[in-house]
Amino acid sequence: MNFDLEELAAIIEQLDQTEFTDFRFEHGDLRLHVRRGGYDAGPGAFAPAAPAAGAGIAAAPAPAAAPATPALAAAPAPAPATAPAPADSTAGAGLDPAALPEGHMVVKAPMLGTFYGAPKPGAAPFVQVGDAVGPETTLCIIEVMKLMNSVSAGVTGEVAAVFLHDGELAEFDQPLFAVKVTA
Amino acid sequence: MSAAARTPQRVFIANRGEIAVRLIEACDRLGFETVLGVSAADRDTLGARRAGRTVVLGGPRPSDSYLNMDAVLQAAVSTGCTAIHPGYGFLSENPEFARKCAEEDLVFVGPSPEALESLGDKLTARRLAESVDVPVSAGGTAESIEEVRALAERIGYPVLVKAAYGGGGRGMKLVESAGDLEDAWHLASSEAASSFGNGLVFLERFVTDAKHVEVQILGDRHGHRIHLGERECSVQYRYQKVVEEAPCVALPEATRELLHRSALRIAEALDYVGLGTVEFLYDVARDELAFLEVNPRLQVEHPVTEAVTGVDLVRQQLLAALGSPLEITQEDVSLTGHAVECRITAQDPARGLAPSPGRVTRWSPPPAGGGRLDSHIYEGYLFPPYYDALMGKQIVWAPDRAAAIERMGQVLDAFVIEGVTTSLPLLQRILAHPGYRDNSVTTHWLNHSLEELVADLVEDRESDSSTERMSA
Repeated sequence: MNFDLEELAAIIEQLDQTEFTDFRFEHGDLRLHVRRGGYDAGPGAFAPAAPAAGAGIAAAPAPAAAPATPALAAAPAPAPATAPAPADSTAGAGLDPAALPEGHMVVKAPMLGTFYGAPKPGAAPFVQVGDAVGPETTLCIIEVMKLMNSVSAGVTGEVAAVFLHDGELAEFDQPLFAVKVTA
Repeated sequence: MSAAARTPQRVFIANRGEIAVRLIEACDRLGFETVLGVSAADRDTLGARRAGRTVVLGGPRPSDSYLNMDAVLQAAVSTGCTAIHPGYGFLSENPEFARKCAEEDLVFVGPSPEALESLGDKLTARRLAESVDVPVSAGGTAESIEEVRALAERIGYPVLVKAAYGGGGRGMKLVESAGDLEDAWHLASSEAASSFGNGLVFLERFVTDAKHVEVQILGDRHGHRIHLGERECSVQYRYQKVVEEAPCVALPEATRELLHRSALRIAEALDYVGLGTVEFLYDVARDELAFLEVNPRLQVEHPVTEAVTGVDLVRQQLLAALGSPLEITQEDVSLTGHAVECRITAQDPARGLAPSPGRVTRWSPPPAGGGRLDSHIYEGYLFPPYYDALMGKQIVWAPDRAAAIERMGQVLDAFVIEGVTTSLPLLQRILAHPGYRDNSVTTHWLNHSLEELVADLVEDRESDSSTERMSA
């Protein structure tokens, strides 16, 4: 089935207003699994239903159905009605781009545009939380009026957080990723 | 929401400074939502606080943000906007931008791309004016230098060489005698080619002593076109307006009627939609009008017209762009009293109006009956160096011109700004000058009088710095 991001966002919004710790949804070949809590332990602590996702939520549709696994993975993690900033509300590993732990750096949007974490809809994401990256590694695409601009990491390290959903507007200078610098 | 029966609208504000605040306010009153696009240097502006949502378009330089068409369009589309208001300057007169808005199903709050195109070229605009019997000053263009020379002789020296695609005084050369013509013609043409991407230039008679008068026009998509009287903006420094007022009391009634009629003829010829200003020079001694150009946008000085007509021009502009018929007819427009506007800028009058950006440590406008202040400044605001120097526009209204000038003088005297050097002392001296008071000033007056007007300021400055040197 065709699963769109808007529907997913709507489901998550509903969930956010209810008390739950674990939510599973299956429909045809779509399986959705959302968990709450435990994200403070960091990305490594999760055992999501779908191996593709790194944080508290996993959407595992049929291979070609859903774009943007990193964004999905990021979606509800900090489950916070109290975090108004877009970056906070999507922080993949509960990281706050404004107050990163030592040794981390933020990759910011070099221009305003639409954020895409994968080369095309349905494709595997460029990077996920935990991936090793080098300065030239492409992290995402920013689309400005049908022009695609790739954004590279600029440093050697490990992806610690993805702050945006696929298809979201990235403002100029907005934090997109946190990278734990290793070299 | 109080948007009543109207379709919900979300307007993208593609501008900054005082006009962004003005546009947001007009949208608020109509029940329209707003999204403001800002540069990275403008995140803390008053507009950013007032807008429904603010998105950062790009870096501080205008080419990275306010002039970056793709960033503006993407931001407007991604935030679900239905219309874009470009304000003045930046993208407001850009036909390519207007066309791109249409391609994205965004209403461009301005005239059609075709109208913008024919008005962007002053020579075409001149021909349009001539074709509908609107008075233009002697002039034209030619190919060979022999023809240019013959044309200049017919016009009579001094003549101006002007760039067809120029503006704001750029790409203009004054030629006093035949000997200088050829060089000026070629120089102007190559400057125009590098500045405006088109080297087309033309000749026009240079009027030494003229007043700048302009007519506010307004049209809708249903064939209605009205004018809202004229403004006078003769107090200019290097083609930048400094003090404006409405109406122009120097015009005899017959000339005023010709002025308004001419402006409406041009509006009709263009099937003009939205707000526009038709500019003229008025030669007082000869009682002659000459068409200058059409500014197809909202203008900085629009509040003086609002003050004497009671019409909210930005509201009418938005509604017209969205396809509503005008809320007023020509018969509804009546002028009451006199309004004056002073542009308060971060410029140092003692140093040839050089820009003086910095932190505004005190901003204390006087509470003034009959006054209006359009501004984006607040105490603690860091006035950035990247954009124009306008800090605010003080407008006053009174029953007649003398009373309005008197009132403006009082308001300026009580206005306190600290931290940034401003044009306030210059404005005070202009308002007090007999030539301004008896309304005899013409467009070159301030160019020649600035030094004399601020001589005491320069002296104060010099004695201050010599005291410092002695004590150092």
